[in-house]
Amino acid sequence: MRYSETLVEHFLNPRNAGLMRDADGSGSDEYAACGDLARFYLRVQDGRLAQARFQAYGCGPTIAAASVTTELAGGRPVEELVLLKAQEIEDALDGLPEDRKHAAEVAAGAMRAAALDALGRTRGEPMKGEA
Amino acid sequence: MSRRVYLDHNASTPVHPEVVAAMLPYFGEIYGNPSSVHGFGRDARAAVDAARERVAAFLRVRPDELVFTSGGTESDNFGLKGLALARGRGHVITSTIEHHAVLRSAQALEAQGFAVTYLRVDVHGMVDPDEVRRALRPDTIAISVMHANSEVGTIQPVGAIGAIAREAGVPFHVDAVQTFGKVPIDVDALGIDALSFSSHKVYGPKGIAGLYIRRGTKMVSIQHGGEHERRRRAGTENVPGIVGLGTAVEVRARDMKEEGERVTALRDRLWEGIRARVPEVRLNGHPTERLPGTANICYRNVESESIVLGLDLKGIAVSAGSACTAGSVEPSHVLVAMGVPLDWAMGAVRSSLGRSTTAEDVDYVVASVTEVVAKIRKAMPVGAA
Repeated sequence: MRYSETLVEHFLNPRNAGLMRDADGSGSDEYAACGDLARFYLRVQDGRLAQARFQAYGCGPTIAAASVTTELAGGRPVEELVLLKAQEIEDALDGLPEDRKHAAEVAAGAMRAAALDALGRTRGEPMKGEA
Repeated sequence: MSRRVYLDHNASTPVHPEVVAAMLPYFGEIYGNPSSVHGFGRDARAAVDAARERVAAFLRVRPDELVFTSGGTESDNFGLKGLALARGRGHVITSTIEHHAVLRSAQALEAQGFAVTYLRVDVHGMVDPDEVRRALRPDTIAISVMHANSEVGTIQPVGAIGAIAREAGVPFHVDAVQTFGKVPIDVDALGIDALSFSSHKVYGPKGIAGLYIRRGTKMVSIQHGGEHERRRRAGTENVPGIVGLGTAVEVRARDMKEEGERVTALRDRLWEGIRARVPEVRLNGHPTERLPGTANICYRNVESESIVLGLDLKGIAVSAGSACTAGSVEPSHVLVAMGVPLDWAMGAVRSSLGRSTTAEDVDYVVASVTEVVAKIRKAMPVGAA
């Protein structure tokens, strides 16, 4: 198997998959070269991520990356998630093959967009991101 | 992982035990070079000659009309380039759904100044013989259309195309790698002048294949060296491989018909099972004119690679219709040519059944596909793709 056990486990049992109604922030990112897409919905309490849900379209690693991101982002300040790096997601998956690095990038990009959207709503000025 | 199910027979097949047994002596005690004049060489030569006769009998052609090659790709390169280069310049007709071994050979010919027409296909992936007729030009020097497509399994009307080629006096090459040993091939009735075939798709070893060249057909070699294969293909013969191919066709002659009927029924059981349980699926390829074991199914808005991974984790081997290489996805050129919309084409999964496939295997695959696709769709953005 070319994927780590952690990646396979998240692919088989995705955490927090699905839509969230009335989210405090949402955002998505797409990897244009292959159409892979991740979208996050965030519930924020006291400036921290209380709950995240995701939707993803793509190869197994992209689904796993979105799943693991909902876990690693939990409880963290939203300001911090605006700067989330793909490397952190890749590390949480115990690595990605060279030709699947985009899985972590698309998940990171989507989480940054969602976090930015949540911050913008808090400040009453919608920023980049989408509902 | 307990159960393992191999549904990728269009990619390769396990070597039949009878074939293995026939090959074994040629790795050990009979190791001479068939070109050598001594006894060791003569023993190897006798084995190559006997195998050539078996393959010739199977295809109902003359033994001296066969050239052994290293694989289907070499046979296709030889078949198309050999015909074209023997004529120096001119126009070649092929189709958009050929294997890359033919498509890229055609592109290589274009780079050398040949003109090439790539015929379109209909929604079932079938070439219209009338299109071949319309594409003919006074300088057309070769036609190459595959017998059956490896991805969707559609069997082309090669007989009608062969008749047009013959009427126009243009040599006709057919890539029969996916049909050889699975459906009957009569090169005379079909009007075929050159035919590529391979061993490892029909329970023979890898690394051995062949090209039939009708006697009197002008061809040039593309591999130069010694005097092997009547100076048409240089290189010491792959003796164990040739012996294996010779035995593989004997097994096919015996088993082909009955196995074809059994595998066709299982293929239909697979599709019916999936269609009844999984929403938004479609079957690609011709409903009836199709390879016995091939079922190419699209799952709308699901990426095929995630299905392949999910099934792999359940011990099931199938192949993805789209390939994600270095982060860029190419939907299958065959499905694109058939006009399959992108949101369907990206979710194409090919199952190809074979002699070891059982009804229990198929039922296990149906249940697994149902579960895997439902799980992936749960995490899927509505309307994405």
